[in-house]
Amino acid sequence: MKIVTILKQVPDAEARVRASGGTLDLSGATLVIDGMDEYGVEEALRIRERGMETEIVALACGPERAAEAIRTALAMGVDRAVHVVSDVTLDAVAMARVLAGVVQDEAPELVFVGGKQADWDSSALGPALAEALGWPHADWTTELTFEDGTITVTHDIDDGTETLTLPLPAVVTTQQGLNEPRYPTLPNIMKAKRKTLEARPLADVAAAAGAPADRATELRASEIEARSRRNVVLDGDAKTAATELVRRLRDEAKVL
Amino acid sequence: MIDFELSDEQKQIQSMARAFAREHVLPHAAAWDRETRYPEEVVEAAAELGLLNVGVPEAVGGLGLGMLDEIVIAEELAYACMGFYTILMASDLGLTPIVLAGTAEQQRRFLEPLTTQARLAAFALSEPDNGSDASGLRTQARFEGDEVVLDGTKMWISNGEQASVIVVFATVDVQSGHKGTVAVVVEGGTPGLEANPIHGKLGQRASPTAELVLRGVRVPSANVLGEVGDGFKIAMRTLDRTRVPVAAGSVGVAQRALDEAISYASTRQAFGGPITRFQAIQFKLADMKIGLETARWMTYRAAWLIDRGLPHTEASAIAKCYASDVAFKAAEEALHVHGGYGYVDEFPVGKLMRDVKLNQIYEGTNEIQRVVIARGLMR
Ligand SMILES: Cc1cc2nc3c(=O)[nH]c(=O)nc-3n(C[C@H](O)[C@H](O)[C@H](O)COP(=O)(O)OP(=O)(O)OC[C@H]3O[C@@H](n4cnc5c(N)ncnc54)[C@H](O)[C@@H]3O)c2cc1C
Repeated sequence: MKIVTILKQVPDAEARVRASGGTLDLSGATLVIDGMDEYGVEEALRIRERGMETEIVALACGPERAAEAIRTALAMGVDRAVHVVSDVTLDAVAMARVLAGVVQDEAPELVFVGGKQADWDSSALGPALAEALGWPHADWTTELTFEDGTITVTHDIDDGTETLTLPLPAVVTTQQGLNEPRYPTLPNIMKAKRKTLEARPLADVAAAAGAPADRATELRASEIEARSRRNVVLDGDAKTAATELVRRLRDEAKVL
Repeated sequence: MIDFELSDEQKQIQSMARAFAREHVLPHAAAWDRETRYPEEVVEAAAELGLLNVGVPEAVGGLGLGMLDEIVIAEELAYACMGFYTILMASDLGLTPIVLAGTAEQQRRFLEPLTTQARLAAFALSEPDNGSDASGLRTQARFEGDEVVLDGTKMWISNGEQASVIVVFATVDVQSGHKGTVAVVVEGGTPGLEANPIHGKLGQRASPTAELVLRGVRVPSANVLGEVGDGFKIAMRTLDRTRVPVAAGSVGVAQRALDEAISYASTRQAFGGPITRFQAIQFKLADMKIGLETARWMTYRAAWLIDRGLPHTEASAIAKCYASDVAFKAAEEALHVHGGYGYVDEFPVGKLMRDVKLNQIYEGTNEIQRVVIARGLMR
């Protein structure tokens, strides 16, 4: 069994990012492995720990610094990693084409991708990768089992959940509920030093895969919405204020 | 060549320790403090990640980590709860004499078991009647055949009740000063060893502290580290190293104090706006930052000297003294920035101050650090 887990490096959910003139300044923000991708890494490790002989390869496409996120996966227990080094911010479709090239070379039975990428909140990477590979795909998976040459997954749909059986190889997108990702242990952090992290330039990988080393969509304009606070203070005694708060939450914010 | 960058592994260690501390330590710290509770299960979780007893050498099953690695962890854990970190710190304090002065056989016998299970070590130097003046210790060591018999009382021993390995400092002759001192490894549960928990601590209540009474405690003389006369030296060489983690813990507390002060000050309104508008508040924050950064780099430098095998007595004394003074001041200022709210336990700043007061006292009070520094200057 061979599993490829796709990783992205994204700002920590609690990171402070500065937005100015349509761009984000990430300097100073803590960057981490995307939480959604971590479920895939964890699931791959658990499959191996259940006794199936498994090679786990982490694969990421991103700037030089993305290597830090890859090292986290190596420290969690992944065997080796491939890093497609890219200074271009690829969109999901372009990135999927590039990644598909490496996946084809690796020829795994299973590919895990986070259900959603925390940076641009897109859920497209998994499906686009499956499309580029011509493989079946299950998204938003919360449960997964194997049976000779197939996997059975339970995943979320609008009205609840659905259980599917897919032939392998397949692409599975992961999400919260699938497992509880582990912390890398100190011994594994030290061991990870000796694992292979192969860096390949985007241009080479794209050329070999017959994919363009650039965005698939043209970005005309982008704007970052800056929300200002309302700065409302509710007056009156606790009861009046609470009643008013509930009214606002229900009628204005529509969260109740 | 100067390089202020952590290695890739150190960054990984830092983010793991931070994630663990923020998730498993910080949210519970107030309750442990309130209930004076030793959080055994969280110590076990830390051990599973490899965060406990990081000083054990590679040859006997440890990870071969350096002091820089250790203090990266220290800062993160102490940020969440200094009391919790003291449990791990005191265990490393307890195993350090064995690392520095133990034979290969002693290291295998005493240190290896500390890596396979969540077991603690302890360091028993202080006594009811002497702390700073450690060479005045009274605990008696008597050699009988191939055994050593220990009698006396040790005071303030962190992990004293829980430890499976305790290094006890004693003397074969109270009159002979340093020359009579010995360091003896006593295993927890040895007959004649009694641990009495100490109650009513001002802070660091997650960390258990005990009085150890030794009545005819017999151990093989193969448990003696070095020779008779080495005890005091081993204790001092140990503290020369382990003061650096005390400094790092202090830096963690100082960082927490600053973060809490900023977060409170930016939301607290007075005179029609947040109190961060006042330069008096801004200057407090700036001063905390000045202390924090300088203490952090002094601590890193002391660790760097240790990792390179260079003389570090003075640097570790400076780091310990300075960082704990800075951290106490930062905690006090953070409390002040909270006004009346700082004075009640609804906010964590009061605990920071109570906790970090101890960093100015243990492993040699800050007066003793100055004694150490001055002694070097006069030589
Ligand atoms: C919670 C806690 C945990 C501890 N854990 C441990 C442990 O695990 N192992 C262990 O061995 N000990 C431990 N200690 C003991 C600690 O190291 C001592 O309390 C400390 O060294 C001071 O000794 P003392 O209390 O006897 O004070 P004293 O030595 O009596 O000092 C009293 C005061 O006099 C000052 N003073 C003393 N000598 C001088 C001097 N020459 N010049 C100027 N001022 C001086 C001191 O700075 C201090 O202010 C712990 C203490 C506490 C409170």
